[in-house]
Amino acid sequence: MLERRQFIKKVSVWGGYALGAVALGFPVLSFIGFRKISEKKITFPPDAQHAAVGYKEGVYLMSSKDGFSALSAKCPHLGCTVNFDAVSGEFKCPCHGSTFETSGKWISGPAQRNLQPLPVKKMPSGDIETVVKI
Amino acid sequence: MLFANKPGNRISAGISSYLPRLGLSALFLCLLSGLVLTFYYRPTGNVFQNVEEITTLVPYGWFFRQLHFASGQLFVILMLIHAVDHFHQKRYRLYPEGQWQRLVFSLCLCFYTLFTGFILKGDKEGVFAARIFMNITGGIPLVGKRLSSLFILPGEDLFFLPYLYHCFFLPILILYLIRTHIRKWFPKYGILYTGAAGLCLYALFVKPFMDIPPDAFAASVKGPWFFLGVQTLLKTLPAILAGIVLPALFLGCVLILPSVEKAGGKPGVEKSGLRIISRYLHRLIVLVFFLYVLLTLKAAFWGP
Repeated sequence: MLERRQFIKKVSVWGGYALGAVALGFPVLSFIGFRKISEKKITFPPDAQHAAVGYKEGVYLMSSKDGFSALSAKCPHLGCTVNFDAVSGEFKCPCHGSTFETSGKWISGPAQRNLQPLPVKKMPSGDIETVVKI
Repeated sequence: MLFANKPGNRISAGISSYLPRLGLSALFLCLLSGLVLTFYYRPTGNVFQNVEEITTLVPYGWFFRQLHFASGQLFVILMLIHAVDHFHQKRYRLYPEGQWQRLVFSLCLCFYTLFTGFILKGDKEGVFAARIFMNITGGIPLVGKRLSSLFILPGEDLFFLPYLYHCFFLPILILYLIRTHIRKWFPKYGILYTGAAGLCLYALFVKPFMDIPPDAFAASVKGPWFFLGVQTLLKTLPAILAGIVLPALFLGCVLILPSVEKAGGKPGVEKSGLRIISRYLHRLIVLVFFLYVLLTLKAAFWGP
């Protein structure tokens, strides 16, 4: 009888601890883990639009006869910034060696996904604007 | 008994008595130089510029930065040699229950402190290392995103959490974990002065490595020396396997080995299955460690 009582006492004490840990831990983790999703506008002024492949703050802007397109420079493998190799005409990741076509299509390496295309918007001032999530 | 008169054991006795004391003097210098650096270092805004100012503009900044780098590296390398020597000699059998696990965990925290220091340089390598770490931990199923946000945040706050860990949480936790293992907090003056003099001379005459600006072009980027092997594995294996599962399995084996060996009974009394398992586990750990060292050397000299 005493053993049973002790067992119930022990369970309720440990249950209380667990409940307390959850009650305190959940708000703490929620607080620490909260992040405001923000976006950043990247603007390419007209003088930065002449190159076939232009780069600014993590965005590649490609110009062709069909118009402009933009790609995120973040490698889809583990997030390093890819370099553009003008000789081979490919994007190359300096960390783990993934390669991509200028269209962003994956060619080789561990990434196994394409570079993320970004929306481009031609402004009345002639600037080209694109938005990246931070 | 442990230090029988064999050459190998004499070397081991030397390693176990001098290197940790030298390491302790490196730790003190590391803490002191780190304390000085915190007065100028800022983990927000243009961190790369801040580090470059410390190196080139602030009086003696280059000296304190190099002293902090060298003493931190030396401390962790000496602790690693000390741990490998103890493991090789199977001295973990002499430790009270839980102490080996606590010390191995503190060594892992030492490496994490070096890693956060690598990130806090704010250069291209540091930024990429931070992103890779964030993406690997964030890729753990179910808990990844939440777990990752406990250690590192993307965007403008990239350096803030590594800074908190590097300057406050990790040093305090490491000192707490190793407190019972260190017989005296201050090593013999001779060793303390020798270590301090050697490190100060290094900081005086060896210039800091050139840091690559975050936006500059770099054909290939290397991680910190102890992660070069992982960086190589990441080229061929899935990120979770190379970055989380394999290191965790290795660490798990190192942590449970003393318990398996103790559970297997005393040597010479009976040959239980657990004793055989512990013997093979020991060999497996040595083999994997040796292969990782080879992989690291290959990556260091011929690129990851």
